[in-house]
Amino acid sequence: MHSSISNVRLAGLAVSTGSLTRDFIADGLALGLDRVMLERTAQTIGLRERKVAAPGVTALDLCEDAARRLLDAAGLDATAIDAVIFVTQTPDHPQPNNASLLHGRLGLATGAAAFDLSLGCSGWVYGLQQAALLCAHGGAARVLLCAGDTLSRLTHPRDRSADPLFGDAGSAALIERTGQAAAWHFELGADGKGANAIIVPQGGARMPADCKPLTEIPDLDGNVRHAANLAMQGGEVFNFSLRQAPPAVAAVMRHAHYAVEATDGLVLHQANRFVITTVGRKCGFPAAKTPSDVVEHYGNQSSASIPCAMIHAFAEPLAARPLKLVLCGFGVGWSWGAVAAELGPLIIAPIQPYPLAR
Amino acid sequence: MTLNDQLQALRRDVDLFAGATLDTPLASVPHWGSLAVLLVIQHCETQHGLALTGTQIRGCSTVGDLLALIPQQP
Repeated sequence: MHSSISNVRLAGLAVSTGSLTRDFIADGLALGLDRVMLERTAQTIGLRERKVAAPGVTALDLCEDAARRLLDAAGLDATAIDAVIFVTQTPDHPQPNNASLLHGRLGLATGAAAFDLSLGCSGWVYGLQQAALLCAHGGAARVLLCAGDTLSRLTHPRDRSADPLFGDAGSAALIERTGQAAAWHFELGADGKGANAIIVPQGGARMPADCKPLTEIPDLDGNVRHAANLAMQGGEVFNFSLRQAPPAVAAVMRHAHYAVEATDGLVLHQANRFVITTVGRKCGFPAAKTPSDVVEHYGNQSSASIPCAMIHAFAEPLAARPLKLVLCGFGVGWSWGAVAAELGPLIIAPIQPYPLAR
Repeated sequence: MTLNDQLQALRRDVDLFAGATLDTPLASVPHWGSLAVLLVIQHCETQHGLALTGTQIRGCSTVGDLLALIPQQP
């Protein structure tokens, strides 16, 4: 689905990460795994360390911290926000939604809208499109978009196909209505037939948390997980990413009349370096314009990975001037979202762990 | 490209297959597992423009079965 939305701007970005550092090689050795294979995987996939949330810290806490730092940096009172959108698949509770909880924590004006989007790695682009729509056509002057997950809580430590990949983070972005700005061009899509390739089977209404005991089951590669763990078919996910992300990127670039040479960067969901470099190459972008090292420092941060990569790779120019960027997220639900947009100058609160070490 | 040409290309590109023959069971390829599946998908996409799925690769028994998934070119 294509959409073009005019007269909106991205005004600011912030990202808060988990405060605990996990080392890929050390964790693998502690499980008795072969050092040579660990080093090969680290080199190929681009895994080194990741930041995970401290016990008791949730995506809501991480996003609240990012939002408070962003509002402070922008000199804005929370009552200036007309709507808050929260993208997450690890909400604090089944009910109420995280957006309403954040609305209360930040002290947004009564009457400001609040809703969640249940999406993962494609979610930041979906959320940006919704925020832009609210500003352009929905009566909002300013929308707070928060996106984040604590996926490290969902993986089994002995599932080496998933556990070493994920870090925890929360992001906050301010989207504003503005008089004159070039259109943002979006491409959103999904292929629900593949939705089971990334799944947490137990814990929802279909298979409630208490419906059966959690039994650990090994797979063909010796990875272990139970029904409340995140299970991911890596080969299918990689194939899906190669199949769906490049056409979405090409479509938004065509609508925006962007050529690779005149585009400042392609910011892909930071799944891992292997996926990013392969997808980036297939999109026709040189490696220098396709940041791929976020995952080495933070892990795969689900819906927070695109804003984190924007700050990690482009903080200085984004703070100073407009950049022509193409952003693309893809993942859970077999969903994808891409956008071509001129973004900046914008206020940036630096990537920071929460809570800060005292 | 013959099956043997494809084998040589795979051996050059993915070093896990350095000592493999067409009859080598995939299960005996060193460190065969989820990472190896990704490397094979990347190899086939890069070298042959073919996007294999993990399920297709997991369904193969030998290296020869795997390479037979790649359409033969004159």
